[in-house]
Amino acid sequence: MDARLRRVNKEITDCKNDKTSNVKIDLVDESPFHLKGTFPGPEGTPYEGGTFEVDIVIPESYPFQPVKMKFITKVYHPNVSSASGAICLDILKDAWSPVLTLKSTLISLQSLLCSPEPNDPQDAEVAKHYMTSRSSFEETARYWTRIYAGGPADESKSGQDPVAIAGLEKAHVDRFEALGFPRDKVIDVLRRLNYRGKNVTQITDDTIVEKLLS
Amino acid sequence: MSSDYEYDDDDYYDDEDMIDGTQDDDEISDDDMDIADDIKSAAKGKLKSYEVDYDSLSQSEVEKHIRDDTEHICGILGVDLSTAQLLLRHLKWNKERLIEAYMDNPSKVLVDAGVALTESHSQPQAAPIRTQSSSSSGSNSRRPTRSSSKLIPSRSSRSSPTSPTTSYSIPKPLKASKSIQHFLCPICFDDDPALRTLSLDCEHTYCSGCWTAYVVSKVRDEGEHCIRCMEEKCQLVAPDNFIQSILVPEPGAPVGDPTEEAENAKVWARFQELLIRYFVSCNRDLKFCPYPSCTNTVSCPSASSKLSLTSVVPIVSCGARGIGGQDEQLSQSQGRLGALQGKEHKFCFGCPIEADHRPVICAVAKMWMKKCRDDSETANWIKSNTKECTNCQSTIEKNGGCNHMTCKKCKHEFCWVCMGPWSEHGTQWYSCNRYDEKAGQEARDSQSRSRASLERYLHYYNRWANHEQSAKLSLDLYAKTEKKMEEMQITSALTWIEVQFMKKAVEELDKCRQTLKWTYAMAYYLAKGNEKELFEDNQRDLEQAVEQLSELIESPIEPENIPTLRQQVTNKTVYVAKRNEIVLEDTANGFLDGRWKWNASVDGFDDPDPSLIAF
Repeated sequence: MDARLRRVNKEITDCKNDKTSNVKIDLVDESPFHLKGTFPGPEGTPYEGGTFEVDIVIPESYPFQPVKMKFITKVYHPNVSSASGAICLDILKDAWSPVLTLKSTLISLQSLLCSPEPNDPQDAEVAKHYMTSRSSFEETARYWTRIYAGGPADESKSGQDPVAIAGLEKAHVDRFEALGFPRDKVIDVLRRLNYRGKNVTQITDDTIVEKLLS
Repeated sequence: MSSDYEYDDDDYYDDEDMIDGTQDDDEISDDDMDIADDIKSAAKGKLKSYEVDYDSLSQSEVEKHIRDDTEHICGILGVDLSTAQLLLRHLKWNKERLIEAYMDNPSKVLVDAGVALTESHSQPQAAPIRTQSSSSSGSNSRRPTRSSSKLIPSRSSRSSPTSPTTSYSIPKPLKASKSIQHFLCPICFDDDPALRTLSLDCEHTYCSGCWTAYVVSKVRDEGEHCIRCMEEKCQLVAPDNFIQSILVPEPGAPVGDPTEEAENAKVWARFQELLIRYFVSCNRDLKFCPYPSCTNTVSCPSASSKLSLTSVVPIVSCGARGIGGQDEQLSQSQGRLGALQGKEHKFCFGCPIEADHRPVICAVAKMWMKKCRDDSETANWIKSNTKECTNCQSTIEKNGGCNHMTCKKCKHEFCWVCMGPWSEHGTQWYSCNRYDEKAGQEARDSQSRSRASLERYLHYYNRWANHEQSAKLSLDLYAKTEKKMEEMQITSALTWIEVQFMKKAVEELDKCRQTLKWTYAMAYYLAKGNEKELFEDNQRDLEQAVEQLSELIESPIEPENIPTLRQQVTNKTVYVAKRNEIVLEDTANGFLDGRWKWNASVDGFDDPDPSLIAF
């Protein structure tokens, strides 16, 4: 039998039989070389409670070349692109070893969520947010976990400032609120436009007002 | 470096005769051809100012260099050959740095280089290869290899690495292990008891099939020569003999799948090539021949520093001809195709241009190539041929009709001549008497400036492209000339040797066109002044001579004229060769004396005087 197929089949079976880890691997279609990995967000992090899905493509020369993985679930993390889900992790590139498995790689992703590497970022905007204001970053990450990864609504934080949760700046929200728009709507629009960092200079006020009016 | 470029008084004296242009062509006799040859052979011993000293090395010669370096290190550091190889590769073949670092802290260097460490690394010895390698995947090849386990110490690979039997001295990076209990390859999950397993000193054991697939993938797909153990974070590097044992079956080994073996042999050859390429790339004095499938290397120490490239144009030739080492014989029999295949592998040592770009130095040649490639000239064309609507700024090309323009986009009406609004023209339709209107004048000024700069560029570019085109056509010319030479032998009493003058002329022509082509790139960037005028005088003389010779060669042959033609062509060839020498020599000397000034900023030169900037 083809060594690659044998190996992938074994990996999938092993993962199914392993009750201790909560990593799951499922087929996407008939092919055993296109898979979907699922793991829960690590405890004690803003990702806790969320369920994260990863797209897995097994290349022709697997396991001698690394698997291709990217997040399907949107994740707010310095090493994960907030737009495409692309992951910056050494073992998915040059530090790959044929001994690593799909399961161990997914566990590595899980631990990447625990310990971000903001100095080697995939998403510079998110990394900047992480570096400048950790608590605000964590609010946003938790918010994304709740919205995109099915995380729990955070009751204890219900009294928290919705502006910080959306990862926005109070001054920006106030400015548009002063124009006579309802605060909720301003927060919603600015969040959808990703009004942060460099975007603040790139998105004109006109665009925002247009969105607010629509 | 300058000592390599001695001024050759005798040659220059000859040249001066030519410069004043009084030389009568008729004075040159047939013998001059021989003189030209003499000059050439003299040049071999003594370099002209436009030539660089270089050496061509074949793959085996480079291998010898590598071996010498490695053995040198073996001797000094007292390590075995494969360790020395890994150490040298780790420190980019810098022997001095390696010796220094090794003397400072040998164990650190050994670990960093991916050579395993044990307590007793003082006794160098050759690494014994105790495995028989085979291409592993076919089950029929596995069975017989089992017998080879006799060669292997009766010891499980899984035995504790701390047991005394496993403490190897460093130079023993390779070891075969044979599992007695059920071995399960952690990569392919194969547990066939006949599985042959291998590991480096680190005891990370995998089946030979996985090792082969891994090495093949690294070498073929990634072009990687530094192959580490497959274990995660294991830094041990597989030495060459280990790679070889994986890819090349030893004599007497069971025969595996022949196609796979052939494939693996190719990978092994590729691996060796990668090692040589790496060595060459680490050494500033060496450069790999860029011609397809040529494996020669050129050594040119005089052009290894960036600074030297401001005064030298290091055109070298690797010594090979044709494609993939096909020899010249082929070229003589096959005309056009042959001419192409027989071409010398000439390239520039200092930059990636794969041609002779003398007399112009690398930095300027690069600027020129970039300029020719750039879209900036498209923009220039738009600037010169179009105008912008004064109202909405859309670009408009006027391709006919009257001067009363109506912008398609914004319906603004204006006059094409003065660019002012049409309404100001009152009732004087179709004639603009408002030529000096201020608004119109500004628009016209900027337009004429960009037009002048475009014209200047086109002047040089057209001539450059023209010579390039002619050089391309020279392949046809080769073929045609060969036919003519045959014809001449039939119609006159000349022998094959005697009609060679035609071939010589064509070759010379090709060379001169190459020079001429690049003189236009040079002239484009030369700052105005006497030096540039002298340069252009030399350029003109060469160009004239080249065109005359070109015409002579292409003129029809009439039997009664052959002796005259032969004389004329021979004379002209010598003259053209000399003119070419003058241009090359004078330019090269100019670089050495720092005579040339540019109208644009060039790497390694002072920024140009603002008054000299021409565009």
